[in-house]
Amino acid sequence: MSGKTRIEAIDPGLFEFAGFDENASEQIGYSDYSYWGSTVKVFLKNRVAFVLLVILGALLLFTFVQPLLPGQRSPTKINIDPATSVQMRNRAPDATYWFGTNSIGQDLWARIWSGTRTSLLIGLIVGFFEMIVGIVYGALWGYVRKLDRVLTEIYNVLNNIPTTIILLLMAYILRPGFRTMIIAMCVTGWLGLARFVRNQIVIIRDREYNLASRCLGTPTRRVIAKNLLPYLVSVIMLQTALSIPGTMGGGVFLTYIGLGLPVSIPSLGNLVNEGRLIMMSPELRYQLIFPTIVLSIITISFYVLGNAFADASDPRNHV
Amino acid sequence: MARYVLKRCLQSLATLFIVVSVVFLLMRLLPLEGYFGDGYDKLSPEQRTAALQRMGLLDPWYVQLGNFYVRLSRGDLGTSIIYRRDVPVTEIIAPRIPYSMYFGVFATLLALALGLTLGVFMARRKGQALDKAGTAYIVLINAMPSAVYLLFIQLYGTSLFSLPILFDKYRPNSWILPAISLSLGGIAGYAMWIRRYMVDELNKDYIKLAKAKGLPEKLIMVRHVMRNAFVPMAQYLPAAILSTIAGSIYIESLYSIPGMGGLLVDVIQRQDNPMVQALVLIFSSVGIVGLFLGDVLMAVFDPRIKLVKGEGAR
Amino acid sequence: MKRSFSFCLVASLLCVAAAVGAAPKSEDYYSVYAGELTTLNYLVVAAENEHSVIANVVDGLVEYDKYGVLVPSLATEWSNSADGKTWTFTLRKGVKWVDNKGKVYAEVKAQDWVDAAKYLFDKKNASLTAKIAYDVVKNAKAYFDGTLTDFSQVGVKALDKYTVQYTLEKPVPYFLSMLTYVCFLPVNGKFLAAAGSRFGTDNKTILYNGAYILETFEPQVGRTMVRNDKYWDKEQVYIKRLIFKYNKEATTLGPELFLRGEISSVYVPSALIDSWMKDPAKKAVVRPAETSSYTYFYAFNFNPTFDAQYEPDNWKVVVNNKNFRESIFHALDRRAAMITAEPYAPERRLQNTITPRNFVNASGKDFVDMADLAKYSKTDSFNKALALDFKAKAKAELAGKATFPVKIMMPYNAGSTDWTNRAQVVEQQLENLLGKDYVDVIPVSFPATGFLGATRRKGNYAIQECNWGPDYADPETYTDPFITGSNYNWPEKAEGYAQANGKPVYENMVAAAKAEVVNIAKRYELFAKAEAYFIGEAFVIPYAIGGGGFQASKLEPFSYPFAPFGMSYLKYKGQTVMQKPLATEAYNKMKEAWDAEREEALKKSKF
Repeated sequence: MSGKTRIEAIDPGLFEFAGFDENASEQIGYSDYSYWGSTVKVFLKNRVAFVLLVILGALLLFTFVQPLLPGQRSPTKINIDPATSVQMRNRAPDATYWFGTNSIGQDLWARIWSGTRTSLLIGLIVGFFEMIVGIVYGALWGYVRKLDRVLTEIYNVLNNIPTTIILLLMAYILRPGFRTMIIAMCVTGWLGLARFVRNQIVIIRDREYNLASRCLGTPTRRVIAKNLLPYLVSVIMLQTALSIPGTMGGGVFLTYIGLGLPVSIPSLGNLVNEGRLIMMSPELRYQLIFPTIVLSIITISFYVLGNAFADASDPRNHV
Repeated sequence: MARYVLKRCLQSLATLFIVVSVVFLLMRLLPLEGYFGDGYDKLSPEQRTAALQRMGLLDPWYVQLGNFYVRLSRGDLGTSIIYRRDVPVTEIIAPRIPYSMYFGVFATLLALALGLTLGVFMARRKGQALDKAGTAYIVLINAMPSAVYLLFIQLYGTSLFSLPILFDKYRPNSWILPAISLSLGGIAGYAMWIRRYMVDELNKDYIKLAKAKGLPEKLIMVRHVMRNAFVPMAQYLPAAILSTIAGSIYIESLYSIPGMGGLLVDVIQRQDNPMVQALVLIFSSVGIVGLFLGDVLMAVFDPRIKLVKGEGAR
Repeated sequence: MKRSFSFCLVASLLCVAAAVGAAPKSEDYYSVYAGELTTLNYLVVAAENEHSVIANVVDGLVEYDKYGVLVPSLATEWSNSADGKTWTFTLRKGVKWVDNKGKVYAEVKAQDWVDAAKYLFDKKNASLTAKIAYDVVKNAKAYFDGTLTDFSQVGVKALDKYTVQYTLEKPVPYFLSMLTYVCFLPVNGKFLAAAGSRFGTDNKTILYNGAYILETFEPQVGRTMVRNDKYWDKEQVYIKRLIFKYNKEATTLGPELFLRGEISSVYVPSALIDSWMKDPAKKAVVRPAETSSYTYFYAFNFNPTFDAQYEPDNWKVVVNNKNFRESIFHALDRRAAMITAEPYAPERRLQNTITPRNFVNASGKDFVDMADLAKYSKTDSFNKALALDFKAKAKAELAGKATFPVKIMMPYNAGSTDWTNRAQVVEQQLENLLGKDYVDVIPVSFPATGFLGATRRKGNYAIQECNWGPDYADPETYTDPFITGSNYNWPEKAEGYAQANGKPVYENMVAAAKAEVVNIAKRYELFAKAEAYFIGEAFVIPYAIGGGGFQASKLEPFSYPFAPFGMSYLKYKGQTVMQKPLATEAYNKMKEAWDAEREEALKKSKF
């Protein structure tokens, strides 16, 4: 009985011949899949990453808002104790100086935020530059065999000239400052990423789909941009995310050889380095701990975000 | 392949020539005052000339460069002019290489063993407790400034386990902390990369097929996943092992290990040209050989990569 | 002569005995160092790092005792000719050269000084100390330049096996003090020739005649000095072994190594001193470190070559105005600046003259208390009221000629944390006191490598902190930076100071003082006058002496050979390593006693 009803319920129209529709035959399966949309969607699903993204965003925002808040001190002003009229040295954190003062009486709270601002800016600019140059150079190096010899040569030469020599020479030519620091870090910083990208590309350049593209006469530019790079987005993002905090801490050596930032511009690297000497005196340790915490938060955020984004940007993880 | 190797060798020689010449000339661009250090003001002009003459710096640059290559062809790297006056460069460098190599190779192997194991387990148990603990370790090592945690390890590690603070070649217990310190970064690095690649690899279709056709998990891991994940690392390994010759600046300084760490930076700052040239020659050779071996090793691990083939090349 | 020597010996023995007990006993000395030796070739090297070993392994003709009185060493007696140009030394007999195993190589004889001079004055060897000797020794400069080839014409001779004679170009009142420096040390000619270019490259390629032998020397590992059993004065050497370990991070690790008892002595960095002083256990082992005779001053540059953005032409106008210079002179709070280096007792290092106190004295009067100099040496230059007074005057005089605020380009060495901090302190202190409408101090950072070449020597500064160290025991040594031909601050270019002979007033005053070689008291008086004039005209702002800071050390203070220059103070001869380090109070008591004893000793001294 029930079986009968079922059969009767079937639309008899289904058993009729379909006519040939030329328009419909041109349409292939349609999906509203968008690569970047899905990447963002997967990325946002990672709760830890999302929280860190918010923290990092808040931190970033705060470093720019902080100087505008009421009652902030200048990061370079040396505070004089009105009672003794000498510098307020190494004052432990209290209600007035939230993070205490350093060895010449400058407000550590203001210095840390100003330092974060500077370091983040340097990190982002240098990271961005390294990414662009590294990817372009690495892609050409890895894919275009004709250029292989020349580019390997250039890489070898640049990679083997000690950075110290270049930096020393630059120190004699350029004046120390924000711009010099960035130039110094960019000069050879992209080499690592270039080589990394090149290795990745060498691994996949002879895969069948690339062979197919070549046979079809696709221009090199298109092969690199459409076939190779998307495949590498995840690992490249991770590399870049890691290199930004690396850059932030890497300014210490530059400061030593004189290409670093002038004292009027504190940076996180400098602050950590200044704090290192007093590691063995417990009551001064706050000078090391505060900048280290801020630096660590930023590094951890970048690391986790980089990983999460690498996961998210892998199409195989998309639904 | 033999032709390819020969070609690469010749090319490497050319690179070396360029690198050393460029470094040679760059050093000559540094101001002459740098050769005197702090004592400059106490010297008369005649003394300065005499000293520069002695270091052979008054000749035109092409004569200096020519002399350098003539001596080099006889296997003579010259004598130090400032760092250790009058001592042959080889005599200064030779005893220091083994220290850096022993520590470096040991630390690299340790980092490889521990890092790869950790990474593999993390990848297999993705999202579980071990993975999270491992990630925490990697994040911490990357986040903390190394200058801070290395000093921390040295000062508290030695007092906690009552180990000597400074390295002493006759006291093996003084070798422990520097070796561990040296490998910490490597462990985190290798674990991170192998995990990343394995996770990527595990997502691939052929693994799904292998699983579907019932291959044992272990076999899939070893034969397929690990091998493929290892390819990108293969490129870096020879260079990483060879470059241990350069030593580690900070760790060797902290523990007084008489290795190569920081030597290059030191002699560049003091403008000891023969030392700089010799070190650049050594480090460049090592770097170039490392790159080459990396390429070869990569091709060995992954037959799809072709170093020699010409067809379809652009 | 001999009597006074033995008196000193007895006196010092008594002191040591009183301090430690019956016989002076000493532990071995352990230390870490961050700078490795570049060479042991004492005839060429000029840096303290190398001198710290050389001073202990090779002796010269004379030496200083612990009060800074010259006493015989390898020469037992000496005489000076009537014209003051010829010095004859009689050598101690039986002094041996030994190798690094302590095996006797030869006897020390007069020819060794001639052989050393021959090497020193040979241009090919490029000795960095040759100038100090060829400036005084007859014909030595000509031999160095190659215009004279016959070495027998040079004023160093071995009259017989035990008699050395130096002939000088002109009388040099401080010649004996020069003899304690490396360029007047002897060398065994046969050994030198055999070693060739390897002379002094390690501990096996030099010979020893001093208190210690460098038994082991491993670069970047360490070195050990042991007492020389063949030493002529070995009863005065108490520390048996000195063990030094290399560590590049010695400044960071040193304090911890000391606290764990691994080293005998350490310098406590200024960043740590606060916390050490607060901890009673650590406070009990900290004491002030000795100050040196390096002089630090802020120089006004009369030859500005700096970048147009810092307005060098404007600077030239204002620096030639005495009132402007005086306003800065009195506005600089040197104590505030010093706190960056010396947070505890900063006054200890401040000084108001260029020549430090205790450097030289004549007839019981310290150099800085002579003539007009006394006026400056006792008053602090920092005076707010005066500074503002001079500011008003300068502003009135310079109105229309110079633009205000005056940009003051002030370089600092980015490799030095203290200096970096100090630059900021000075900037804000001067601007706050004098007003931002008057001066705009601009600290500019320069790399540690090639720092002076990029700044002071090029005239690339407006005001800069400079320093100078003495070469011999005479106030003349502190005039060198300010004489035409030097590259400090070019005071000869200051307007309105030239005299009839075309030379500036100060240089004529110095020349007059230099000409006085017989009456030492008179000579010093003239130098004091010149220096007082130089400070009075505010060409520089005297700032501080070097050294200082704090240390924790088991080394007994005030028992080693004392001299404010050269390398005598690097000797361990006469010192002991005590059971435990001195605290500040005990140290200060010893210093008081030493100061008093020293005054007595100097009065008795003939030199």
